[in-house]
Amino acid sequence: MGRARRHHRSTRELFDQQSLALDEVSATPRVVKAPPVRRLWFCVYLPQLPLEASGPGASARAVVEEKQGIHRVLLACPKAEAAGVVPGLSANAALALLPGLVIEERSEVAEQQALEHLASWLEQFSSMVSIAGPDLLLVEIAGSLRLYGGLLKLRQQIATGLEQLGFSASLAIAPTPLAATWLARGGRRACVRDPANISTALRTLPLSCLDWPAATCESLVGMGVRNIGECLRLPREGFARRFGPQRLLELDRARGRLPDPRTGWRAPERFCADYEMTEEQSDRELLLAICGELLQSHERFLLARQLGVQSIEFSFFHLRSSATVLRLGCVEAERQASRWSDLLRLQFEKLVLPEPVIAVRLQSGHAQALRAESGRLVFRGRTAGRGIRFSIAQLAERLMARVGRQSVAGVATVAEHRPQLAWRARNLLQEKTLGEVSMARGKLQRPLWMLPEPARLNVDDGYPLHQGRLRILDGPERLETGWWDEDSIARDYYTAINPRGMRLWVFRTRSRDADWYLHGFFG
Amino acid sequence: MQRDSSSLDKLLENPRVWRGHNQAHAPAGLASGYEALDNHLPGGGWPQNALTEILVEHYGVGELRLLMPALARLSTADNGMDYNDPGWIAWVSPPFQPYPPALQQWGIDLSRMLIVRPKDASEMLWSAEQALSSGTCAAVLLWSDTLDDQASRRLQLAAEKGQSWAIAFRPPAARHQPSAAALRIELLAGREGTRVSILKSRGGRPAVLHDLL
Repeated sequence: MGRARRHHRSTRELFDQQSLALDEVSATPRVVKAPPVRRLWFCVYLPQLPLEASGPGASARAVVEEKQGIHRVLLACPKAEAAGVVPGLSANAALALLPGLVIEERSEVAEQQALEHLASWLEQFSSMVSIAGPDLLLVEIAGSLRLYGGLLKLRQQIATGLEQLGFSASLAIAPTPLAATWLARGGRRACVRDPANISTALRTLPLSCLDWPAATCESLVGMGVRNIGECLRLPREGFARRFGPQRLLELDRARGRLPDPRTGWRAPERFCADYEMTEEQSDRELLLAICGELLQSHERFLLARQLGVQSIEFSFFHLRSSATVLRLGCVEAERQASRWSDLLRLQFEKLVLPEPVIAVRLQSGHAQALRAESGRLVFRGRTAGRGIRFSIAQLAERLMARVGRQSVAGVATVAEHRPQLAWRARNLLQEKTLGEVSMARGKLQRPLWMLPEPARLNVDDGYPLHQGRLRILDGPERLETGWWDEDSIARDYYTAINPRGMRLWVFRTRSRDADWYLHGFFG
Repeated sequence: MQRDSSSLDKLLENPRVWRGHNQAHAPAGLASGYEALDNHLPGGGWPQNALTEILVEHYGVGELRLLMPALARLSTADNGMDYNDPGWIAWVSPPFQPYPPALQQWGIDLSRMLIVRPKDASEMLWSAEQALSSGTCAAVLLWSDTLDDQASRRLQLAAEKGQSWAIAFRPPAARHQPSAAALRIELLAGREGTRVSILKSRGGRPAVLHDLL
């Protein structure tokens, strides 16, 4: 009996040495050597983020995502779910179930912004906040416990705050980031403080909490492994061979056997400086000089941090009336004071100050990493000779500052047969490449000048008139298209010349009245 | 002997001495794509880093066609991978919408078009000057009824500074105004076609070309 038991124990020990779960099965309490710095990770998991990122709404809402051309429901609010709108349903079916349903396309940008917003909010609780995934935030709270009066109070404070901000989160606390993450994904309101208890806490979590590839989980299920506890009992070597060392690394990290460093998140910094004067000033040159001084310190601030900003805001404070605000924008993140004062000068000319100014404030927008470009080694003929003062972006910016944002544009073609829709204006500052090709690539000439709207021509004795009778040179080119929307056309286009030698692009509608219209000039 | 040649140089420097057609001294022009026109222009093409004036009464008589081959080459010449490469073509206050599919048919790189629509004449002149002197625009086209001598001089200077080509479209009445333009061309359109008349050409001679467009 004794021998049998010993034998039994020895096989168990043998098994334990090979298995992943070395410490949890051993019966004797081990002396846990406290690590030099004990960490405690607070995980905020936001399963409803796609829905909540767009803010609260009174009506029933659902977020859809396009998959293989079909919009399917990704998440639905409780109201919609009660009506039977469940994830995976196609958008049409959801609308059939609930005609008043507000359907929104998933916006990953909005989600990221919401996540960053939450990260900055969480920075009040700890100096170490990390964005661990598209819906995960980790906060290291070991150092903050005393300040906030203990773990439970801190947890309560974060939970209440999140609720007030309109986010439903699943929270978990564990000594390692991964364990906290998995517990939060599993929806356990777990709070593990001792690293020795991690394995126990993880044991019953389903495999889906691991966020491993579906194929890995399937083959684990095929082996009869359904939760993390069973996964931990597998032999290390075979596990690594079968599923890759990365998975083994994750399991080790989750249990604190290997370090798991995380990168912290920092809310972007903003510059804000005031210049106060001893008496009111209305000398514009002086005010410009003050702005220049503020811009200089702004440049030093950004330079030290290797940052640039896209927008800045000057506020001119008056004694009696409210402050006059001047906003300046820039295409690419910029820090040079000279460039900003260039833009400022252009706008300052037009600025109306109702009263003398007593103080000036410069406030910068969101700082972003400055994108530096390396110089060009090879000189090419023209580039080398021409002294470039402004890049095109700078030129466009200057023009926009004086002439107006709408009055400066590029052009692009659109793949469309209807002449008036075959082009569009291009925002020079945002679109740097052209996407589509023109449909009018063929032999049929298009006019270089286009009228904003076709102009109706008078007809004399069957001949259309435009400063004299028109003579048809070429045509017709029949365009009959666009039946699918409201701008359908049915026209015969001709090239015509008038007595003054102007070449015109005219068309005749194919409706009953058969009117003639002028649409462009062959400039 | 020495003194003689230096006094000759001095004499030639006098602005009142007009020297005849001298192709060897003219800086190379920008080939216009129309051989007959190139033959009549000093340097064998459009004058570079200078102002060209085109006097035209009505639009649609070939005023753009005349420029298209040269503009197409400018817009595609330097265009490498860099968005900020020169070779941009700026259109300042065009009378109608330049139609992109047609520009493309003429071989213009549409990604290098900049269209500016200023509200008044002073903004127009300022925008054109900015574009010319920026060094980014290979050509700047502008339309104006009110350009004066001083404005044309400013455009000419800006074109030199930015090594760009300024093209001003003006009404035929401007023929009687003095101008700093290096080249003035008038387009005379009629039922039989458009004649190109070279009114003034720095280092060249006036001429009338038929059947060009």
